[in-house]
Amino acid sequence: MIHPSIGQRGSAEALIAVQTLSKVYPTVNGGYVHALDNVDIDIGEGEFVSIVGPSGCGKSTLLRIIAGLDVHDEGRLILAGRDIAGPSPDVGVVFQAANLLPWLTVRENVRLPLRVGGKKKQSGTSVDDLLAMTGLGEFGERYPYELSGGMQQRAGICRALARNPRILLMDEPFGALDALTRERMNLELQNIWQTHKKTVILITHSISEALFLGNRVIVMSARPGRIIADLKVDIPRPRSLDSIILHPEYARLSSEIRGLLNAQGEVE
Amino acid sequence: MSMAAATDIKSRPLIAPKPLKRSWLESRLLPLLGVIILISAWSLAVHRLHVPPYILPAPEAAAKALWSGIAVSPFSPLGYYLPLWSTLKNAAIGFLIGSGLGLFLGSLMAESRIFEKLFMPYAFALQSLPKVAIAPLIVIWFGFGDGSKVAISALLAFFPMLINSFTGLRSVDPEKVDLMRSLSASRFETYRIVKLPHAAPFIFAGIDMAVVYAFLGTIVAEFLGAQQGMGVVITKAQAVTDVAGVFAALFILGFVGILLHATVQKIDRKMVHWNRRGQK
Ligand SMILES: Nc1ncnc2c1ncn2[C@@H]1O[C@H](COP(=O)(O)OP(=O)(O)O)[C@@H](O)[C@H]1O
Ligand SMILES: [Mg+2]
Repeated sequence: MIHPSIGQRGSAEALIAVQTLSKVYPTVNGGYVHALDNVDIDIGEGEFVSIVGPSGCGKSTLLRIIAGLDVHDEGRLILAGRDIAGPSPDVGVVFQAANLLPWLTVRENVRLPLRVGGKKKQSGTSVDDLLAMTGLGEFGERYPYELSGGMQQRAGICRALARNPRILLMDEPFGALDALTRERMNLELQNIWQTHKKTVILITHSISEALFLGNRVIVMSARPGRIIADLKVDIPRPRSLDSIILHPEYARLSSEIRGLLNAQGEVE
Repeated sequence: MSMAAATDIKSRPLIAPKPLKRSWLESRLLPLLGVIILISAWSLAVHRLHVPPYILPAPEAAAKALWSGIAVSPFSPLGYYLPLWSTLKNAAIGFLIGSGLGLFLGSLMAESRIFEKLFMPYAFALQSLPKVAIAPLIVIWFGFGDGSKVAISALLAFFPMLINSFTGLRSVDPEKVDLMRSLSASRFETYRIVKLPHAAPFIFAGIDMAVVYAFLGTIVAEFLGAQQGMGVVITKAQAVTDVAGVFAALFILGFVGILLHATVQKIDRKMVHWNRRGQK
C-alpha cells in the first residue's frame, strides 16, 4: 500500500534530502538485519516532521544516520546541499531519557556543546536564556538527579539548542514521561519550534503526539523500514491539546495512521 | 509552567530522617559494641582460660607495649613514629607509581582495541597470581633499601587500578559517547568529560584496594630485610618472643589501615556525589 504523496523527491530547497537510503547491520551469528530499505524523504527548512512506525523498523537508525552517528550502506544523504559525512554543528540531537551527564550541573550540561568540538565555540543562544525559556532558570546549579524526568528532558532540549543548530533530531524524547508531563512538553516543544524556527524530526510511538506537533507524519513499515505514507497535517497553529482532537483532520489522519500501523501487524 | 517546575523539586524531601538514624546505630554503636565484646573475650581467654602470654598476651600487656611506643619523642628510636614514617613514605611512593601506571595503562587498553588484545589477557592472568610471591625476586633486583619496598608496593597497587579503570571506562553508556560524537568532541574530550567521571566510582574502589595493598607490600618487603619500618618493628619483637610488642605493632598497622580506607572513602563520597543517590 503506497501512499500517493510519496515520490516527489529532489526538490531544490530541501534542507535535508534522504535519497534511496538503505542500511544493513551484520549480526553476531553471521547473518544480517535489513534496517532501512530505499528510504526517500525531503524535508524543507522550518518543517516539523513526525515519524511513526512499528518498533524495530529502523526509525532510530534513520535518525542516527542523519545525525552522522552511523553510516548508511546505499543511497545519499544531503544536508543543506552537502553530503553528510559525520556529525554537523547544524544538527542538535535530543536523546531518549535526556541522557544528561550526572556529574555536571544542569547549566554545565546545557553549556557542554559550547565547550567541546573545537572551532565552533560561539554561543547561538545564551545558556541563561535557554534555561529561563524552559523554566529551568532557578535550577542551573542543580544536578540532574535532583530534577524530575520532565525537567531533565527540558535540559536535554536546551543542550541540543545551545549551538543554535538549524535542525533538531528527537528520538522518542518524551517516551519515559508520564502522560501529563508529556502533554506539557508537547506544548513547550511547539512553542520552541515556533519561536526558534527550527527544522525538527521527531520520532514517536504516540499517534496523537505525532499529529499534534507535526506538519507531516511519515509512517514507516515493519523491518526492513520503508516509508509507506507521508501525510500532511493541515491543522492551523498554534494548536492546543483540547481543540486539536475536535478537528476533523485529526480524526481522519489518526485513523488512517492507525490503520497503516495495524496492517503492519503491530500497534504501538 | 515554571511554577509547576518549581514545585517539582521542592515537594521532594532531600533528606529522609529515618534511614539516617538507623545508619548512626549501625555505623557507630554496633562496631563499638563489637570491640567491647572482642576485648572482653580476649581478656577472658587470658585470665580465666590461662592461655600462655607467648601465644596471647593480656590486653593490658599489649596496651602497655603500645603506650611505650606512642608516648615518646617523635624522633626516638624506640617509638613507632620513625618506622611508621618510613613505611608510609615508601608505601605512598609505591602507591603513586603503581596506581598511576595502572590508570594510564587501563585507560590505554580501554581506548585501544589493539592494546587491549595485546595485554589484557595477561593482565587478568597476572591479577590472579599471588604477587607477594614475586617479592623475593624483587628484593634480589632492587636490594634491601627503599627501592624494593617501593617496587613491591607499586606492583601490588598496579593491578587493582589497571583492572578497575579498564572496567569502569569500558562500562560507559554508549548513548553518552554518542552525545559527545554528535558534538564532534575529540577523543580526549570524551575521555575527560564522559568516560573518566563515569569510571570514577570504579577508580575509587581501585584506589581503596591499591592504598591498602601498597601498605601491605611495603611491610612484606620489610619482612624480607630492611633497616627500618613497621615490618622491622614486628620482626624485632618476634625475634625476642615479645608477642605483646607484635600485637601493639599490629594494632598500629590496623589503625593506619582503617584511617587510609576512611580517607579514601571520604574523598570518594565527596567527589562521586552523583553516584550516592539511592545507595543508602
Ligand atoms: N548497531 C546495531 N547492530 C546490529 N543491529 C542493529 C544495530 N542497531 C539497530 N539494529 C537493528 O536494526 C533494527 C532497527 O533498529 P532501530 O533503528 O533501533 O529501530 P526503531 O528505532 O525503529 O525501534 C532492529 O532490528 C535492531 O535490532
Ligand atoms: Mg528506536
